[in-house]
Amino acid sequence: MSAPSLAPYILKRPWLKRWMVPFANWYADAAGYRRLGLRADDLIPEENDTVQLALKRLSPKESYDRVFRLRRAFQCSLAHQLLPLEEQTKPEEDYKYLSPIIAEIEAELKERADLESVIVERKK
Amino acid sequence: MASRASLGSRALQATRRQVSVASFQRRGLAAAASGSFQYETGDSSGIKYASRDLPGPTTTLTVVAKAGTRYQPLPGLSDVLEKFAFKSTTKRSSLRITRESELLGGDLSAYHSRENLVLRAKFLREDLPYFTELLGEIISKTRYTTHELDEEVVRVLKLEQKGLLASPSSLALNSVHAIAFHRGLGEPLHPTSSTPISKYLDTRTIAEFSRAAYARSNIAVVANGASHSELSKWVGEFFTDAGNGSQVFDLSSPSSQYYGGEERIAHNSGNVMVLGFPGSSSFTAGSSFKPEISVLAALLGGESSIKWSPGFSLLSRAAKDFPQAHVSTQHAAYSDAGLLYVTISGDASHVAKACSNVVEALKKVAAGDVAEEDIKKATALAKFKALEAGQQTDAGLEATGSGLITQGKAFQIDEIGAAIDKVTGEKVKAAAKQLLDSKASVSAVGDLFILPYASEIGLTV
Repeated sequence: MSAPSLAPYILKRPWLKRWMVPFANWYADAAGYRRLGLRADDLIPEENDTVQLALKRLSPKESYDRVFRLRRAFQCSLAHQLLPLEEQTKPEEDYKYLSPIIAEIEAELKERADLESVIVERKK
Repeated sequence: MASRASLGSRALQATRRQVSVASFQRRGLAAAASGSFQYETGDSSGIKYASRDLPGPTTTLTVVAKAGTRYQPLPGLSDVLEKFAFKSTTKRSSLRITRESELLGGDLSAYHSRENLVLRAKFLREDLPYFTELLGEIISKTRYTTHELDEEVVRVLKLEQKGLLASPSSLALNSVHAIAFHRGLGEPLHPTSSTPISKYLDTRTIAEFSRAAYARSNIAVVANGASHSELSKWVGEFFTDAGNGSQVFDLSSPSSQYYGGEERIAHNSGNVMVLGFPGSSSFTAGSSFKPEISVLAALLGGESSIKWSPGFSLLSRAAKDFPQAHVSTQHAAYSDAGLLYVTISGDASHVAKACSNVVEALKKVAAGDVAEEDIKKATALAKFKALEAGQQTDAGLEATGSGLITQGKAFQIDEIGAAIDKVTGEKVKAAAKQLLDSKASVSAVGDLFILPYASEIGLTV
């Protein structure tokens, strides 16, 4: 599921964006998942229907790569090792591949809920 | 007790007394003062449209695209494009489309035939602008997403394939078309489950095909029960985004050629024999339209139009000793060819015996051994059937649309009636003789141990 985010608020304000982007980059790097070869979207909890559906909608290649990254990261974690530097996720590889699909599914669900509870007023 | 005659006249008097002034002022369906049975046609920046203002509170609006299975560049594309109708567009989701049309009480559907793909909306007359906008949006702004293909379209397609596989008559009909026309018109209406379609179906191909199918020159908008000025106004406003075609696919099909032959398919649930012969193209095709073929189809018949009687038709008389065989004659007319076919279905042994009687009856007609009286009855029935089909909105709309696209000519039912009236007995006999001179297309589906070969029942293939 998508978590609440300040990002849209910050991105709308260029002066704030100038301040925050270097800090955000530093934070993402310091979080450590990139050292295990993961992407930020790999960390989204998948134990719910929305994300399960989103995972089904991934292209076969994306889906295969995701499983590979997760298994490699588990292996590293068990072995108490970090990946060699060239295999670690580079910042440009750390793009959103799953969250746009999740957002789309959530929008669908919200629309359905809205339409279920809509009260129709006809023009007189 | 009062006699029946006196009761009848009394009932008549009672109804006369009840007729009020108001009911005289209400317009009936065919009242001459209101509306017209003829289609008015028009052209709005390349999009052809036609309407007939049938008086009544509802409207049927269709977009007919010349993109049926005959024109599909890859197998299964027409089927999938039909199922993608009313899926999400760039402006609204499929759920929203459904809910909005439910609110307005509309009915949306899509289907395809061998030549056309038809998107249809039925609704209350005052909602014309909404549904015109919707159809305009469907043909130009559908998103064709992969997840809709995987989660909805392919599932429905598979269910339909199962239905097809369970129906011997549809299998036989597909098979007889394939035998008669090979490619083009011979393409199966729905792919069977053993057709390898999944390798052809991806959203990019489907979107490209939709651009070709819904190109300006390839569609016609046809409405029943809408005033022409209204329709032209809204088509002009909402169909502006229709595309100009695709660079990849060119939807053309070589002119149909009749081949003929025989195919036998083993099937466990039902027995069907279809005997096909070259027919006539549809009315909108112009010169190759032969009204005597539809009279011949009515003459052969097989199904009675009244209850508890075998009827006058030759085939119902020929097959009356085999009550478990059901015989019917149809004439499928397409834009440049046609297929006259006799379907015999039911119990295998009865079908086998009825088949040889049917062929004998055909040979009798071809030899000219048919009563003038029967031909007159058949002419009347053929005329009625043609006019009724034109009057019923569905068939009339599709025929008008395809006529508009190919010839710029709408389906005018009065002219068909006149054409059938001109058919003479000699013409019918000549047409019947021609049938047997050409090769037949014979398709047998069912218990092949019992069902006969074409040569056994005396047909040349």
